[in-house]
Amino acid sequence: MTGGDPAGVAHLYVHLPFCASRCGYCAFVVEVGREDARDAYLDAVLAELERERAVLGALDTVYLGGGTPTLMGAERLSRLLGAIAPMLAPGAEVTVEANPETMDDALAASLAAAGVTRVSLGAQSSRPHLLGILDRRAQPGDAERAVRAVRTAGIPRLSMDLMLAVPGQSAGDLAADLEWVVAQDPDHVSWYELEFKEGSAIARGPHSPPDDELAADLYEQAVEGLEDAGYRWYELANFARPGAECRHSLAYWRARDYLGIGVGAVSTLGGERRRNAPGLDRYIAALPGGEEPPRTREAVDADTRRRERWMLGTRLDEPLDVAWAGDPDNPEALVVLEDRGLIERRDGTVLLTRRGRLLQNAVMQQIMDFA
Amino acid sequence: MDQSHIRNFSIIAHIDHGKSTLADRILQLTGAISDRDMREQVLDSMDLERERGITIKAQAVRVMYTADDGETYQLNLIDTPGHVDFSYEVSRSLAACEGALLVVDASQGIEAQTLANAYLAIEGDLELVPVLNKIDLPAADPELHARALADLIGDDPEHVLRISAKTGQGVRDVLEAVVTRVPPPAGDPDAPLRALVFDSVYDQYRGVVAFVRVMDGELKSGQQVRAMATGSDFTAEEVGVMSPVMTPIGHLSAGESGYIVTGLKSLVELRVGDTLTLTASAAAEALPGYREAKPMVFCGLFPVDADDYPDLRDALEKLSLNDASLVWEPETSQALGFGFRCGFLGLLHMDIIRERLEREYDLDLITTTPNVEYEVTTTSGEMLEVRSPVDLPSPNHIEQIEEPYVRCTMLVPQDFVGAVMGLCQERRGNFVTMTPIENRQQVVYDMPLAEIVLDFYDQLKSRTRGYASLDYDPIGYRQSPLVKLDILLAGEPVDALSMIVHRDSAYARGKGLVERLKETIPRQMFEVPVQAAIGGKIIARETVKAKRKDVLAKCYGGDISRKRKLLEKQKEGKKRMKHVGSVEVPQEAFLAVLQLDGASGQ
Repeated sequence: MTGGDPAGVAHLYVHLPFCASRCGYCAFVVEVGREDARDAYLDAVLAELERERAVLGALDTVYLGGGTPTLMGAERLSRLLGAIAPMLAPGAEVTVEANPETMDDALAASLAAAGVTRVSLGAQSSRPHLLGILDRRAQPGDAERAVRAVRTAGIPRLSMDLMLAVPGQSAGDLAADLEWVVAQDPDHVSWYELEFKEGSAIARGPHSPPDDELAADLYEQAVEGLEDAGYRWYELANFARPGAECRHSLAYWRARDYLGIGVGAVSTLGGERRRNAPGLDRYIAALPGGEEPPRTREAVDADTRRRERWMLGTRLDEPLDVAWAGDPDNPEALVVLEDRGLIERRDGTVLLTRRGRLLQNAVMQQIMDFA
Repeated sequence: MDQSHIRNFSIIAHIDHGKSTLADRILQLTGAISDRDMREQVLDSMDLERERGITIKAQAVRVMYTADDGETYQLNLIDTPGHVDFSYEVSRSLAACEGALLVVDASQGIEAQTLANAYLAIEGDLELVPVLNKIDLPAADPELHARALADLIGDDPEHVLRISAKTGQGVRDVLEAVVTRVPPPAGDPDAPLRALVFDSVYDQYRGVVAFVRVMDGELKSGQQVRAMATGSDFTAEEVGVMSPVMTPIGHLSAGESGYIVTGLKSLVELRVGDTLTLTASAAAEALPGYREAKPMVFCGLFPVDADDYPDLRDALEKLSLNDASLVWEPETSQALGFGFRCGFLGLLHMDIIRERLEREYDLDLITTTPNVEYEVTTTSGEMLEVRSPVDLPSPNHIEQIEEPYVRCTMLVPQDFVGAVMGLCQERRGNFVTMTPIENRQQVVYDMPLAEIVLDFYDQLKSRTRGYASLDYDPIGYRQSPLVKLDILLAGEPVDALSMIVHRDSAYARGKGLVERLKETIPRQMFEVPVQAAIGGKIIARETVKAKRKDVLAKCYGGDISRKRKLLEKQKEGKKRMKHVGSVEVPQEAFLAVLQLDGASGQ
């Protein structure tokens, strides 16, 4: 399994890096204060898409991420989506990420008209003091207004992002966020644990992450609360109403090929993973002339692919087909893990139990030799 | 040279009291080494020793000195090791001399080891020349320490030389004193050869090089030589002196010191303290005082990475070439896999070997609790020498256990005497005597060596703000009520964590140990009970709680490589862990047993 999908790659990611400001926890490729470059960037993205379109088949999913994609403005987004539209398969999922304060009725209507089927709102929290620590710009009421705008425009799917293990977050804070997000009634919720990533401002700042016990409490509280509200914990950090799972993300976790376009974007194509270099200007300079943007490449050999399939596939609540994923490096570990109630094995599949899911990282270390 | 113009002497000094600096000055003053070539502390050739400020290997340097009387003398400066673990080597070096400089820091005064070595010298009938060094330092109190030095050796305070080896002040007086006060050798040049081996080193190109003092007779290069204790025969391939580099001179006669290139392949064939004689016309009797260096302290050394086992064996073999007192044999631990049980002269020796293995041979090692050698009598009357807790028979087969005792001599400032006596009592010490020396007390206790090999020295230093000094000497075996304390992780005994302890302290040790292990062992996917047991009976228990959450927060297309690399990095970290049954144990856990604070009930 080293070749790409013969029918062509069905998943497209487009990175739109512009942000009004950089959030403290962010270590993504973002550009602040470069709104002047948006037109040139859009041209470059369209040029790269043109360059790479040969690998694409009919697109099942498209995801515009960032950055803050909505900062591109309705018109540019429509132009981009218009260029993608002819490549879409019937019933394709088209997601746009948005920050609550950037979403209004006009933008939502324009996105709907351009074929967007799903909006992912980066709410992060309803608690002002936590939003402050995260450097988020949304004001109270922004998220509710954004939700209404998406609904009014008739965009069928809505996801909301939330964060846990934020410095200073209590069980009470989490309960309030839980109640609040359920009240907004999105059909999908992503609830991430805040990572103190190297290079992010928060990792250098005065705040320290909550201790392991509290972080575990908050995680369990979020999982249980959303399940009680009828969401399925279908991936370690993602929850959905039945049928509302993010198909684009599922493609990642099922280790499918995907094409990433834009500065900093990553693609996995056959036996190769490549990453466009960060650096807006170099990207913009390369593409209109038909040149390849600056990139790094990494071979994904058979062993790496096998380990990645395990690493990704066990994030899901669906059994991993061992015949598809490939043999575990340490089959004897499966026996021990099963005895200890961390995994279940049935008919050539492996499924992590609830306790096993919370320890997915440690379970993977036992099963596979990440060398 | 005529014996009347030969002097053999050594320098007795505490670490940092200036022995090496004085030796350097002597080399400079006598022109044995030019100022330009002068390197600090020529005699200490190994980096590690230099860092620790100690000298492990004795060497002999010959200088020619023209004295105030106009005559030229051959001075052989025989270096001595400066630590408690090497007292036998010190005694052999002293046996090669007629006199010794007793060098004491003029601000610090006499330390316990200096005292111990001074006694060795007095017992050997050496002429002691008292020297106060560092008199240029502001804190120096020459009058006080001169009186104490004079008292110690029964001399007049006026005879105590006052020098600064650093500036060179008074160094010539030292050489004059060597000539006038140290007696010349009085061997029989016509008797059959008897040469004392006071040190030996292994050179990878030339084999064993012996440092010798010729007592009687004469030795020439090319002669057939026999080591009387080991029975090794060899040809003296080269005979010479260090001045200060190896200089062949063809022969050594009665009274002289120098080196012999033997061509022998291992230090085991030529032990310190042995007597060399000529194979053709052997002496009837060897020189007195030979004994085999006996390891006192044992521990297991295991590679963290099992693949490093051959490298560890290789490294031990290489170190043994130059260290006959290092003994080792393969040991297999259920917990740690394949490794070696190693025997050392003492704690410092153990530390040095371990550091050299890690530093020079780039090995990651796990060291198990150091222990002593026990003499166990079984119910069937059999006598066993037990060097590892694992080898201790089950309690119902033990008639009695004896453990080695040492006499500890500590020099302690008055204010800390109470603290030191408290420490010695905690460590099962029996008070022997207390004698004032200068403004301090010489406190003597008989103690089980096992109580010293853990952290006694560190404790002694920390409870006296570094002022106390320690020396110890084996005084034989004594019967003690000892038991084996086992540690169980997840219900499985971990052999590498077992130790032999006194029955009365077993509970406190066990409790302290499981508490520390609980802190050291990271949370696992499962709850891990940590238990201490004696003969199957659990006496203490702690629990390492199960890890509840270990997930990589989010993982989308752009994150996959990074997450995978994170897992790889974590795997690297786990490599440093030992799998003991289903439990991952960090190396530090095996060292947790060394820290007794809290275990001794303070």
